Amino acid sequence: MRIEIGPVTRLEGHLNVLTTVKDNTIVEAQCVGEMFRGFEMILRGRDPLDAQQITQRICGVCPYAHAIASSYAQEQAFGLRPPPNGRIMHNLIQGANHLYDYLFHFYQLAALDFVDITAVLKYSGKDASLVKVRDWVKAELNSGRKYPAAPFLPRLEGRYIEDVDANVSAIKHYLEAMEVQKVANQASAIFGGKFPHATAIFPGGCTQEARIDLIASYRSKIKQVRHFIHEKYLPDVMAVAATFPEYWDIGASQGGFLSYGMLPRTPAPDSDRLMAGGVLFNGQVTDVDFERITQDIGHSKYSSASGQSVRNSAISPDPHKEGAYSWIKAPRYHGDMVEVGPAARIMVDYHQGHNPQIRQLVDHFIGQAGIRPAQLNSVLGRHLCRVICSVVIADFLLEECERLDPAKPTMAELVIPKEAEGFGATEASRGGLLHYLRLEDHKIATYECVVPTTWNASPQDDRGRPGAMESALVGTKVADPQQQIEANRIIRSFDPCMACSVH
Amino acid sequence: MNRRYFLKMAATLATAFGVGGLPGPVQAALKRLDPSQIPRLIFIQGLSCSGCSISLLQSTSPSPLEMITDYSQLLFHPNLSATSGKQAMALINDYVDGQAGEYFLAVEGSIPEAMPEACIIGHQPFAKLLERAAKTMTGAVAVGTCACNGGIPAAEGNPTGAVGLPEFFASRQVDKPVIQIPGCSVHPDWLWQTIVHLVQVGMPELVNGSPKLFFERTIHELCPRYHDFQQEIFAKKLGDRGCLFKLGCLGPVAYGDCPTRWWNGGQTWCIDCNAPCIGCVSPSFARKKNLPFYRLAELNGQEAH
Repeated sequence: MRIEIGPVTRLEGHLNVLTTVKDNTIVEAQCVGEMFRGFEMILRGRDPLDAQQITQRICGVCPYAHAIASSYAQEQAFGLRPPPNGRIMHNLIQGANHLYDYLFHFYQLAALDFVDITAVLKYSGKDASLVKVRDWVKAELNSGRKYPAAPFLPRLEGRYIEDVDANVSAIKHYLEAMEVQKVANQASAIFGGKFPHATAIFPGGCTQEARIDLIASYRSKIKQVRHFIHEKYLPDVMAVAATFPEYWDIGASQGGFLSYGMLPRTPAPDSDRLMAGGVLFNGQVTDVDFERITQDIGHSKYSSASGQSVRNSAISPDPHKEGAYSWIKAPRYHGDMVEVGPAARIMVDYHQGHNPQIRQLVDHFIGQAGIRPAQLNSVLGRHLCRVICSVVIADFLLEECERLDPAKPTMAELVIPKEAEGFGATEASRGGLLHYLRLEDHKIATYECVVPTTWNASPQDDRGRPGAMESALVGTKVADPQQQIEANRIIRSFDPCMACSVH
Repeated sequence: MNRRYFLKMAATLATAFGVGGLPGPVQAALKRLDPSQIPRLIFIQGLSCSGCSISLLQSTSPSPLEMITDYSQLLFHPNLSATSGKQAMALINDYVDGQAGEYFLAVEGSIPEAMPEACIIGHQPFAKLLERAAKTMTGAVAVGTCACNGGIPAAEGNPTGAVGLPEFFASRQVDKPVIQIPGCSVHPDWLWQTIVHLVQVGMPELVNGSPKLFFERTIHELCPRYHDFQQEIFAKKLGDRGCLFKLGCLGPVAYGDCPTRWWNGGQTWCIDCNAPCIGCVSPSFARKKNLPFYRLAELNGQEAH
């Protein structure tokens, strides 16, 4: 039985998923990216400094990661090293953006798959925000309108949290997270200029000054966010895990893991990063080699050559191509499928024993949940790894902002060479992000972005092997094949960003 | 927009919300919020990055939750709705087919005129969905520069033939009001406060299709560094203070109130960070390959390239 479960909401953009269900089990899945803009074609022939602005518009959810990856790529191409303040500001901007993204993902995007919003009707306490929501939902349900309490109802059928207090508390935190995500973004905007789409990020640093008033404001905001992470986010994820423990065993992808690592500690191009990069297969981590990344398009809507390296990538859109079912390409590492994202980020670092805080947090929480490290590759594993990332990043940002030197410059002087090329790799909240550019006559001749959800929501490659999310869906038991809340939970655990994936 | 069209638009919206048309002494008394009269929004995305939606959630006062419950009702939003899949499409189609009541369409992103397959929602090209909605909606809000003018998906070299909503509707003789709120991304106040205005006062006065309240004057005119410009105190390289005009600042051609409103809770904005305005509210934002955002080469004495 072929069943579509798209368009899937509570993620960025246009995703359809075609499933084949036999005896209430998904036996095949196809992820379909349904929106295409052609960024690489738009970038060709432009001034390179347009790139960190234009590529942010690939994604309004994680724009800063694109600005950073583009800046790194240009720095390599220009032979440019930012002053310490410049690199620190890049980190402060990007890190705060990660914190917002984790909170926004868990509460606004994923939580409604687990939390019973109607439980607020049974709320009898005095909390003003909950009373307001309760009265609003009540009035809506009594209004006689066809779709009362939208956008929170209707919803898919399934088992939600039953305990009233747990639901009410989660709803309260949903409302609080709406406020706290803003605080994280305000922090990144202090140095970025605004959020979304920062204007102050450049290759070579940041145009904002390292003013003491800004540092104090940034520190205060990150502290506020950190408090919420420890007091609410972390316990809420563990509470969901305690109620739905079966999801430690649901939604595992069937390949390797890739992370580029993030937040370099110095301006040196080969600097150690807060989280280390690497490629993880069968418990073994190796260094990432960009030359080993190729992109198949046998099932993607392009007529250009398949299996090209990042450097040689080119696209010619072909919306009616035979056998193609997605606008997303199929990137592979040394021919193999990998998952990227928070679980990859944490596992790649953990398996190298790189960051002691990550090791300690992973060991603590897998102990508490009674799972093996390999079970981080699951729906709950991805949620837990986001929390771990948020804890580690928040602590780092509080130290990092103290390292800004108000007397020193924040920008290197830019001179754009005539011919050059560069790679820039970092972690967006959704996973490994790689930008590549080549200049000819001071202009962009080639620009290529290999984006997290390009990996995760990739269609089959030319050999017919599924992408990470497709592989994670196969084998899943679904109670109601028409609605498939289980598949929805798997998909959202990847936090797909479709605008990113195709761009 | 001509005066005749504006008056017609004002009348249509006034009927929809049960409020007077133009703000003026007569209508100065604010309407009380009436839950049965608030606009119901179907929010859909075309060639978009969700940046405007995310920006709308950065609103401080009113908060996003107040906006989508007190001042409007968000019937559907791709990033926030609990519903999904066929159930979500049934809701959207119910409204679009005129079966579920009045609604306002909020559109983020542009429309791929030359390649309809470049944006599909529920098996249907986005363009088709818009054509159907045009028949049943009360009016539309174009949210962000993409929806207003095509934005970056419409930049030179694009393969999809992206256009904004006003151009798309004009080519199909759709004669319904479209309020344009440009910006890449929009400032949350620009959209939310337009809705507040609609609900409590009536149709805001528009210039070039956008509320005069926010888009009447250029960023340059309002800029706190206008004095630097007059005194010819110019930034010479990125990171310098002073007027950023010689670095390429597009404040003189961009209409918006960023210099007085500021961003992200009113604590920051581009030029306060010494970052030149890139004209993201402008209809020609990022349009031409040979018009870069920055003009550093000339300052560095390099050959202009």
